[in-house]
Amino acid sequence: MIVVKSWLSEFIDLSGISDEKLYQTFNAIGLEVDSIKTYEIPEKVVVGKILSCEKHPDADKLNVCQVDVGTAKRQIVCGAANVVDAEYVAVAVVGAKLPGDFEIKFATLRGVDSEGMICASSELGLPNTGKGIMILDESIGALKVGQELGSYDKISDTIIELELTANRGDCLSIHGVARDLGVALDRELKHFEYTIENREKLGIARMVDIHTKGTVEADLCYTLSTIDDISVPYLIPLRLGMVGIEPGEDMENYLQYATHATGVILRAYDCKRLKANERLQLQVTSQERGIVTVSMEEKPLSIVGVNQTKESMTKENSRLLLFESSYIHPDLLVEAVAGKNYEKDDFYYKTSRGSEPALTLGMEYLSSLLEKRSIGRYYEGYLHVDSPWEPVNISVNFEEIAALIGQKIEGGKIATILKNLGFGIHSRGGEKIGVVVPRFRHDIKNIQDVAEEIVRIIGINNIDAKPLEIIEANRLNETMSHYVFRKALRQRAAATGLHENISYLFSDRNKLESYGFDTLQRELDLTNPIAEELNTLRSTILVNLLETVKRNVNYTAKSIGLFETGAVFDANREQKEVLSLIFSGHNTVESVVNSGKPEMINFAAFVQKLGAVIGSFELLECSYHNGLIHPYQSADIYCRGVKCGYVSKLHPVVQEDYGIYDTFIAELEMEALYPKHINAEVISKFQGVYKDLSVVIDKETPYHQVKEAIASLELDTLKKWYPVDIYEDETLGAQKSLTIRFFIQSMDKTLQEDDIESVMSQVMEKLEQACQATLR
Amino acid sequence: MKNLEEKIIQADSLESLEKVRVELFGKKGLLAAEFSKLKNIPGPEKKAFAEGLNKNKAALQTTFDDRYELLKQEEIEKMLKEEAIDVSLYGTLAQKGALHPVMETMDKIIDYFVALNFSVESGPMVEDDFHNFEALNLPKFHPARDMQDTFYFNDGGLLRTHTSPVQIRTMLETKPPIRMIAPGSVFRRDYDLTHTPMFHQVEGLVVDEKGKVSFANLKSILTDFLHTMFGDVDVRFRPSFFPFTEPSAEVDISCIFCEGKGCRVCSHTGWLEVLGCGIVDPNVFKAVGYEDVSGYAFGLGVERFAMLIHQIPDLRSLFEGDIRLLEQFR
Repeated sequence: MIVVKSWLSEFIDLSGISDEKLYQTFNAIGLEVDSIKTYEIPEKVVVGKILSCEKHPDADKLNVCQVDVGTAKRQIVCGAANVVDAEYVAVAVVGAKLPGDFEIKFATLRGVDSEGMICASSELGLPNTGKGIMILDESIGALKVGQELGSYDKISDTIIELELTANRGDCLSIHGVARDLGVALDRELKHFEYTIENREKLGIARMVDIHTKGTVEADLCYTLSTIDDISVPYLIPLRLGMVGIEPGEDMENYLQYATHATGVILRAYDCKRLKANERLQLQVTSQERGIVTVSMEEKPLSIVGVNQTKESMTKENSRLLLFESSYIHPDLLVEAVAGKNYEKDDFYYKTSRGSEPALTLGMEYLSSLLEKRSIGRYYEGYLHVDSPWEPVNISVNFEEIAALIGQKIEGGKIATILKNLGFGIHSRGGEKIGVVVPRFRHDIKNIQDVAEEIVRIIGINNIDAKPLEIIEANRLNETMSHYVFRKALRQRAAATGLHENISYLFSDRNKLESYGFDTLQRELDLTNPIAEELNTLRSTILVNLLETVKRNVNYTAKSIGLFETGAVFDANREQKEVLSLIFSGHNTVESVVNSGKPEMINFAAFVQKLGAVIGSFELLECSYHNGLIHPYQSADIYCRGVKCGYVSKLHPVVQEDYGIYDTFIAELEMEALYPKHINAEVISKFQGVYKDLSVVIDKETPYHQVKEAIASLELDTLKKWYPVDIYEDETLGAQKSLTIRFFIQSMDKTLQEDDIESVMSQVMEKLEQACQATLR
Repeated sequence: MKNLEEKIIQADSLESLEKVRVELFGKKGLLAAEFSKLKNIPGPEKKAFAEGLNKNKAALQTTFDDRYELLKQEEIEKMLKEEAIDVSLYGTLAQKGALHPVMETMDKIIDYFVALNFSVESGPMVEDDFHNFEALNLPKFHPARDMQDTFYFNDGGLLRTHTSPVQIRTMLETKPPIRMIAPGSVFRRDYDLTHTPMFHQVEGLVVDEKGKVSFANLKSILTDFLHTMFGDVDVRFRPSFFPFTEPSAEVDISCIFCEGKGCRVCSHTGWLEVLGCGIVDPNVFKAVGYEDVSGYAFGLGVERFAMLIHQIPDLRSLFEGDIRLLEQFR
């Protein structure tokens, strides 16, 4: 909503109120100021009077004008076609500096001298008010030849753009804003003066019949006129331009102007075009709650609050016009219109948020404008259709208000504020009052809405902050403990050199499918995705991370480590949390240590990083299948015996697709990572020994099998064992040599040679039997 | 004697000093030889000779010890020097990653409220109309729904447009008093310079007996919170409108870039909008079946906080994983 200061002044006295004060007041009462701007007209642009205008001898499109600029008569060549109709114009005299560093100089145009320029509005930084030059009239103030244009308040006006909240339909007009402002500034609204002149003796009722059908829950008001000639004062297109409404045809400009001023929805129907008979038959029908149609002689004219038919709109030669003002409750309208394919015109924004219900205000404002500038006949009186309207009554208990605000507000003050805001006070008694909500505040329904009004007007800054007294309670829950764990996990991931990434929850369905990931069942997928590459929910974070790696490679990064925690969705749209890691390119930074040629990331290095993040785990043959996984460098990750995800080298084909370096990936289910309770084991006080054992086994036998075999012995003194060497050569053929290091320790004595031997021989025996191992 | 001292002093390494030691103090050394003369010296002179000898020995020993200390020190010094490296070559080897500024900001916000005895709650991202709109006093076709462009699914589900449905879920599952925050990602169908289809919010809700929780309480906690996050700023409350709160307010801080003088970031207003809040609308309590309660709620965008705190100019860059941006937060 854009308001113009001089326009506001039509409804409220703003004398002595600075722009700064206006800005503060609007913000304080909840009408947020988006911007505030004053038009500054350059100096030496003055009101000029065209004394004569003749065709340029040498140029078809130019006119040579003799212009009185107050101090002298100037000859000015002008290219605008409408100059021939102009009397008073804006003249930039020699020396004026127009916006865009354009200085007016003495010029000769096709052999004719020109001293100055007759200006169009846009050339002065004003909004576009139509084709050609500005043709001034008294609507901007008394015209005095030679007077600086910038000295006219209605030209050098201030415009304030308000960002209205969805509930404040009552402020979608100059009058509405003035009404709210008046309460805050404690100034009464100016009474709108309208005196009926030149009325036809004939009443409208003699000309128009209204027939209603169904329960019409809308208010309508009609008046009729015959207009023979009409012109538009300059102020109308100027102000429409200032508030961002494109000027259109003459009557449309009047309607838009009066609607913006009063908030009342105003329409004009062309009765001649509708081929109406002498007596106009108007039908107002509501067959469905909230949808009220207006028609004449079976021809549809409009749907109240929604649109108007093209056929019924005024044309320039229209003479018999039926003017209508209307109101329908926005809640009723919006619900009725939803899901229907009605074409909605510009007024719908107002009607859906609540237009002004004071219908005669709109009618009178419009009439007062029209009567000044038109020749025609106006029929006496108005015809009304009134809806069955029940006022909203609220009992305002002062104590309740105090509890909501947290501060005692005096009852008298509450009453005054509400009265100023247009509430009717119908009862007073003790610590409460009964109020009626004004009809233009359809958004106020209960005591908390009333509290908001009071807070608005007394100002939030005048409410003292008070800490809340609370009763302490244990609020640790699963979400909290998961959050704490995730935070620790993220910090560890960062400590290993990975950067935390955030990607959208969305992914490219085709891409997910092509890599063999889950995709949402069609009937569960997004209806209105924002882009093709974000057209479904992600079932993995890894594809998003690959995109991120690629972007970084494009930015010439050589070592890219990223991690992300977040939600993914399976085909049934079940949400789960995962941790995803990716590392691409150099394992370490380029430095003197590696002569600037660091090694690429490899399986061992990536797994080390993973361990630093998630703690101990085991790797088993990979049971996952998707297009990113390298079939021979991938594994299932088991944490405390539970499978929780996979780690893999990125499939070389995908690596090539993305044009990135050697890359490793891992994705783990968060649920499996949440820490479990740990009980400490007793540590032995006796010395332990390390023993190495080299065995020859089949090349295809994974270490895991060897490990399991040893574990199955369940030897108390065998504390740990791990592979330390692997060796293959031609002499071994289809076999390999594996060296395992054992740590043997007893809880209750220092082991003797015999004890150690016994352990080792049991191990060897087991390996012979379970893995066909031979001693090397 | 002078001669012997000279030998010690002239030893220029621990090795040569050791040779001198053997020569002087060894079993077959010069001093031993001198002492062996003692037995041939007649009684009356013996004492004086022995005293002289002992004195000389002690003097030599001191000279030797001093020399030894000196040479030992020199040797350590030499050894250390040989291990010298240009440490300035290695300062850039550090390889720590960084937490994302948005997540790190969210952590900070959570820490604040947890310290004030708030619980942390969560809820699903795929929501239904009831929890995301209806129960929050946003009936179907309400114009306020226009404020939030929603992602819908073919089966009628939707992606939550705010973290507020977590309030509804928590209220339906538990009884007052409630003191909770709900951090998480939210989704709106909007993509331009200042909007991304996903962003993060932290929502807060306090519910207690009727008459206990007031707007003044909200003012108190949010002012302190904003001071914690942004330091010594002015805090301004402006009346506003949200369907789920009444009275509602938007909260501004004085611009941290120009200190309120007016600059590009604050659109020359001197103020930055950072929060929305209000007293919970009675219709919300009605929707969850609460009676005779009072409460406040607030919500904020984490990206906006992170961008202001760290002076990050471009919202979309937060979702691009550009290491050049991220590594600055190491």
